[in-house]
Amino acid sequence: MPVNTSNADRITGAVLLVLGIAMLLGGYNMERLEIRQIHPASIPGLVPMILGAAMIICSLLLIATASKRSTEQVQADTDDAADSSVSNLLVTVILSLGYGAGLLGKLPYLPATALYIFLFSLYFSWAQYGTSRASRIRLIALTAVFAVSFAAGIAVLFQYGFLVRLP
Amino acid sequence: MQALHSLAEAVLNLLTPLSLFHVAWATLLGIFVGSLPGLTATMGVALLTTLTYTLDRDTAILVLICMYVGAIYGGSRSAILLNIPGTPASAATSLDGYPLALRGEAGNAMALATAGSAMGTLVGIVLLVLLAPPLADVALSFGSFEFFWLAVFGIVISGQLTGGASPLKGYIAGLLGLMVAMIGSEGIHAHVRFNLGIDDLNGGIALIPAMVGAFGFAEVLTVMYRPDGVLVDARSSSFRALPRLIDLWRYKITIVRSGIIGTLVGIIPGVGEDIGAWASYAAAKRFSSERDQFGKGSTEGLTAAETGNSAVVPGALIPALTLAVPGSAPAAVLIAALFIHGVRPGPMIMIEQPDFIYSVAAMLLLATIAIAIFGLSLTRVFIKILKVPRELLMPVVFTLCVIGPYALTQRLFDVWVMLVFGLVAFVLRRMNYPMAPLVLGIILGDLLDKSLRRGLTLSNGDLAPFFTRPISLGFAVIIFLTIIMSIPWVRSTLARLIGRTRTAAPALKGDNS
Repeated sequence: MPVNTSNADRITGAVLLVLGIAMLLGGYNMERLEIRQIHPASIPGLVPMILGAAMIICSLLLIATASKRSTEQVQADTDDAADSSVSNLLVTVILSLGYGAGLLGKLPYLPATALYIFLFSLYFSWAQYGTSRASRIRLIALTAVFAVSFAAGIAVLFQYGFLVRLP
Repeated sequence: MQALHSLAEAVLNLLTPLSLFHVAWATLLGIFVGSLPGLTATMGVALLTTLTYTLDRDTAILVLICMYVGAIYGGSRSAILLNIPGTPASAATSLDGYPLALRGEAGNAMALATAGSAMGTLVGIVLLVLLAPPLADVALSFGSFEFFWLAVFGIVISGQLTGGASPLKGYIAGLLGLMVAMIGSEGIHAHVRFNLGIDDLNGGIALIPAMVGAFGFAEVLTVMYRPDGVLVDARSSSFRALPRLIDLWRYKITIVRSGIIGTLVGIIPGVGEDIGAWASYAAAKRFSSERDQFGKGSTEGLTAAETGNSAVVPGALIPALTLAVPGSAPAAVLIAALFIHGVRPGPMIMIEQPDFIYSVAAMLLLATIAIAIFGLSLTRVFIKILKVPRELLMPVVFTLCVIGPYALTQRLFDVWVMLVFGLVAFVLRRMNYPMAPLVLGIILGDLLDKSLRRGLTLSNGDLAPFFTRPISLGFAVIIFLTIIMSIPWVRSTLARLIGRTRTAAPALKGDNS
């Protein structure tokens, strides 16, 4: 299942290198608070600079060692990944981000949550259910009941049990 | 003796009907969470923390500890029956548990796992009661210099031990965690750092949304990405609930050794239950007379792994309570929960709340009794739980991941933090970056930052005290050696040198004779 190929390590190394440089520069350019006459050794940018430098070293080491990975390991990783489902992953990401970063706050909590649970369960149950019209209608009805009852339960628990003002 | 007396007193205080009711439901929920692949102990403790805001302090901590103990134990169910560890802590369990289940001995495997978990936690509780108070005393002599090294030590050792074949990735994960901790208002001059112009970042990244994302949302993505597990045919297995006492007696040394190893691994910052299980398993294999059976259905291997991972739980609480440095990821969430409920873990705990450590030990003891009772009596119920389809469970889990962090501050920003951490953690985990150092980095970032700058201010910019004070020097030497030993070139050179010495020694012996 891991996607730990040499290329992935090289790309990650490059991203981390940029992050390390940004952290180092960010710490260096950070306000030194001279106007407040603080001790020069306690400037706020000190630790970010150290962390940035450490990340630069680690990312360079990661890039350098990435090319040494054996082809057998890459093959094993590829074989492992073959059993996994990218389409399942993408649908999960789209539905979850759509709910957490899209629907929530725009729709009231209960309908947004019920809609998310309904779509998620229905999509992943669809292929496993029978193909007859009656069984499909039954699936949709059961999923809708499950989604609405769970969303209502959690809304009631948090709103009245924990006094949370729901989004 | 005084320690055991205080423990007995704490147990008696907890023996009220209401407390026992909380122990029962929270442990049962923990076993349920742990047994389902996709629900980890960290996630369970993090989500339950959001449900304990309205509870009083002791009840809240009791409930969270029962969830922690139950979830670590519960992971063995799916490891044995599905060959998928319910939590990472049970990875070693599946090596021998699943082959046993395939041979029709699922019941015996689960009974042994229950007994091993209970024994492991008991060994850990004894060590917690004996070690935590003196450790808190030692920690009282820590100053800024020592705390700085303690934070670095936690990140380095956690990165080294959880990074597996690539400690570098463990270090990078730790650095990422420390970098996240740099966001927001810093602890000495209240200067806001790296808020990227977003006001919501002024207070920094809260631990609970980050943890729920890294261990909850990322786990939902992992479960939906990988193929579904196949439940072992329950009809062909015997479900004798009680372990054979002869087995437990035969493995008494393995149980005690695994319990001690697990607890010691737990004390090491940010290492966690999975390493505890692997270390115990490796030690048991080394000393076992049936080592060729390990990995093929060895009851000793299964017992060692389960004893080891459960012993980590009390072990992880030792540094969490006395140093505010978590021994594992769930312990990190527990620290956050302690602060929320007004307990300040750290060296002052034995002065401010001297009975608290014993209360925690008593809570662990009740949770252990509960896992033993539930584990031995509800075997068939847990098999039914494993049949809950993931397409129903995962949207429910994600909904809880959303509402949990939101309930803490009632702002949608924390939901977005959870989402970002979930996506990033999923990608990092696919590339074999361990999550424990990242979490530890977020927790220890503030301590490291403040201790370094405070120390430098005290010494007027002089670095010498960081290397001349005895405890500081000890930490510095260990950290230096750990980093040096993680360099492949150094390791291979050392191995060559040791190999040469070994081959030279018999030759010399031969010459002498």
